[in-house]
Amino acid sequence: MEIVRAYFRSPAAIVGLFLLLVVIAMAASASWLFPRDPLALAGRPLVWPFTNPRFPLGTDNSGRDIAAQIFYGARISLLIGGVATVIAVLIGIVIGAVSGYYGGWVDNVLMRITEAFQTLPNFLLLLVLIAVFGSNINTVIIAIGIVSWPAPARLTRAEFLSLRNREFVQAGRTLGLKDLKLIFGEILPNALPPVIVYASVVMAVSILLESALAFLRLSDPNVASWGNLIGLGRDVLRVQWYVSAIPGIAILLTVLAVSLVGQGLNDALNPRLKGR
Amino acid sequence: MNFTRRAALMTSAAIAANVVDPFRAFAQTTPRKGGVFVVHYGAEQRQLNPSIQASTGVYIVSGKIQEPLVDLDAAGNPVGVLAESWESTPDGKTITFKLRRNVTWHDGKPFTSADVQFTAMEMWKKVLNYGTTLQLFLTAVDTPDAHTAIFRYERPMPLNLLLRALPDLGYITAKHLYENGDVRQNPLNLAPVGTGPFKFVQYERGQHIIADRHDGYWKGPANLDRIVWRVITDRSAAAAQMEAGQLHYSPFSGLTISDMARLAKDRRFIVSTKGNEGNARTNTLEFNFRRRELADIKVRQAIAHAINVPFFIENFLGDFAKLGTGPIPSVSTDFYPGPNTPQYPYDKARAIRLLDEAGLRPGAGGTRLTLRLLPAPWGEDISLWATFIQQSLGEVGIRVEVVRNDGGGFLKSVYADHAFDLATGWHQYRNDPAVSTTVWYRSGQPAGAPWTNQWGWKDDVIDKVIDDAATEVDPVKRKALYAEFVTKANAALPLWMPIEQIFVTTITARARNHSNTPRWGSSSWHDLWLAE
Repeated sequence: MEIVRAYFRSPAAIVGLFLLLVVIAMAASASWLFPRDPLALAGRPLVWPFTNPRFPLGTDNSGRDIAAQIFYGARISLLIGGVATVIAVLIGIVIGAVSGYYGGWVDNVLMRITEAFQTLPNFLLLLVLIAVFGSNINTVIIAIGIVSWPAPARLTRAEFLSLRNREFVQAGRTLGLKDLKLIFGEILPNALPPVIVYASVVMAVSILLESALAFLRLSDPNVASWGNLIGLGRDVLRVQWYVSAIPGIAILLTVLAVSLVGQGLNDALNPRLKGR
Repeated sequence: MNFTRRAALMTSAAIAANVVDPFRAFAQTTPRKGGVFVVHYGAEQRQLNPSIQASTGVYIVSGKIQEPLVDLDAAGNPVGVLAESWESTPDGKTITFKLRRNVTWHDGKPFTSADVQFTAMEMWKKVLNYGTTLQLFLTAVDTPDAHTAIFRYERPMPLNLLLRALPDLGYITAKHLYENGDVRQNPLNLAPVGTGPFKFVQYERGQHIIADRHDGYWKGPANLDRIVWRVITDRSAAAAQMEAGQLHYSPFSGLTISDMARLAKDRRFIVSTKGNEGNARTNTLEFNFRRRELADIKVRQAIAHAINVPFFIENFLGDFAKLGTGPIPSVSTDFYPGPNTPQYPYDKARAIRLLDEAGLRPGAGGTRLTLRLLPAPWGEDISLWATFIQQSLGEVGIRVEVVRNDGGGFLKSVYADHAFDLATGWHQYRNDPAVSTTVWYRSGQPAGAPWTNQWGWKDDVIDKVIDDAATEVDPVKRKALYAEFVTKANAALPLWMPIEQIFVTTITARARNHSNTPRWGSSSWHDLWLAE
């Protein structure tokens, strides 16, 4: 309860949460407000926003309703952000925890692997994965998760390194707790808050990664995603700039919302900032 | 502002017409010598030798450096380039070319009939795409003297067919530079040597190609000092460079439809289909017969009836396209059979009925079947068309998944691996159906040959019509055979060609003597000049 109060002390965090709730509401109401397939032909292509009441945000260069794509796109963005983040954080936690807890050669091997991933620019690695496995929305999400795990792994490892010799751990060890129980039952809950905060960064980056892929026309063309709309709008950028601008603003606001919420969580969870 | 693309295209066409004409008046003024002409090069090729690869992406560069035996004049009739005259025996089995004298290669060696013999036998017949089919029955090229080449054919070769094919498939390469080793691996394929008005200087991959004026050109030196091809893959960036004056010419619909419409209203540019009549193309929808449902003619007919092509053209492509009626486009006056062949007008109710008759009932969510559609990655129109197909077929219960690939991946998936249900791209018509078109229908094409019949479909009657037409010497009978071909091909519908387009040129209004032949982008540009 105290954390909640601490969170709401920051105006930026409130704005972030509000924006995030709006995006979630858009995703939830999409099929109710726009019962038709958002990728279906809705009317003439390139109708400007606010000119035809049927298309409040206009139509894109394939004659599809931009408003419908924005609402359905919120689903895809949240799906990508959510699932890819879960994948990245899960891999990261397991590798970081094992590495930090055991140290020694296990740590060495796992950290060299992590570094191998970190030295490759993650977008290039993502392009390779997409080129190999194809640009289906599922593979895109999994690939984004796979390229995003090293940072959470590093963070978890650092937390584990500082926690593994604390008294409560040693007490647990003296009581005969198994390693697994110690790692996931005792240390991890204490190491989790910074990782959860960092997850918001991973989520924001995941949404941006998918948009970047779609901008290069490498994302799944069969789903209504904001990135796809931007990529499509590139062809008409000079005259019908709104096709790219509208989803661009949507991405901006969503990433901003996720980041502000992350920042707010960080401030609320970080004991050193207490009372500031 | 209620500004639709259609309105933009309408006005653009009207303006283009107004802009082109005033400059005709200036065409009489004395050509200005000098200047650098900068060309938009959108898609780099693996090599640049037009005797080995037939492609507009090759001709746009090497067409200025190497020359064909024959080109097309302003009216679209064959005119000699490296050949001065030609004649055929009545049986069509022997065709004699008299070659131009006093022509030298850029390295100073004389051009002779040995070069023609070598190029025809080693490149056109063995390597060149389309050429291998065209020259299938070429048995020998005799060279009684240095300026005569006699082509001998096992089966009759209609003279008109050969003359219409040679502007694209008749480029000559120097024998003395290629006779040793595999012609495909020759390093000169990326540094071409020819007889043309410009000689190759430099190729920086991913950046630019440069060619300079060749002062020893047989027609006299060209007007321009230099041509630079700048590699720009992003279409919107190319349009911005046109406006900044850094590019003079974007050939073959290289800009986006929206940018072409915008530049057409700018007096500094001419946007027109003129000069591209010899490069007509149709948009295809290709069916894979290995997919059981698609082998049923009713399903293919239903798919064609479900797509509202006039709506698509009017709203998405505008004046740059028109309704197609089959594999031979209407610009081909010599072979166009007219619109009275089997057609598939938009009729959604009929499409649904045909699908019901084919036994494809709607399942969960109204979906009758799911198909993978592979669009070729070149051309904005292909991507719009693929989306439109997806949207249209969704309306009749066929779910379409669009699968995007890069160029190599697309060609391999469709034409080598046959890993597609539907595919769409361009069929480029090259002035005679036997050159570019019948290979899309004739059975027995080796797997992996791009833009050929890889549908898993074979029709003996159509095969015979194709073979008869290719060896028919009488032009009237040939035309009748091709009309029969189109009728039968449209009825069998192994692929559908419902849209006709001509490439659009965007060029600076300072250019003179441009767009004056049906394949101007590919031609030698010896008379092109830039006004102040």
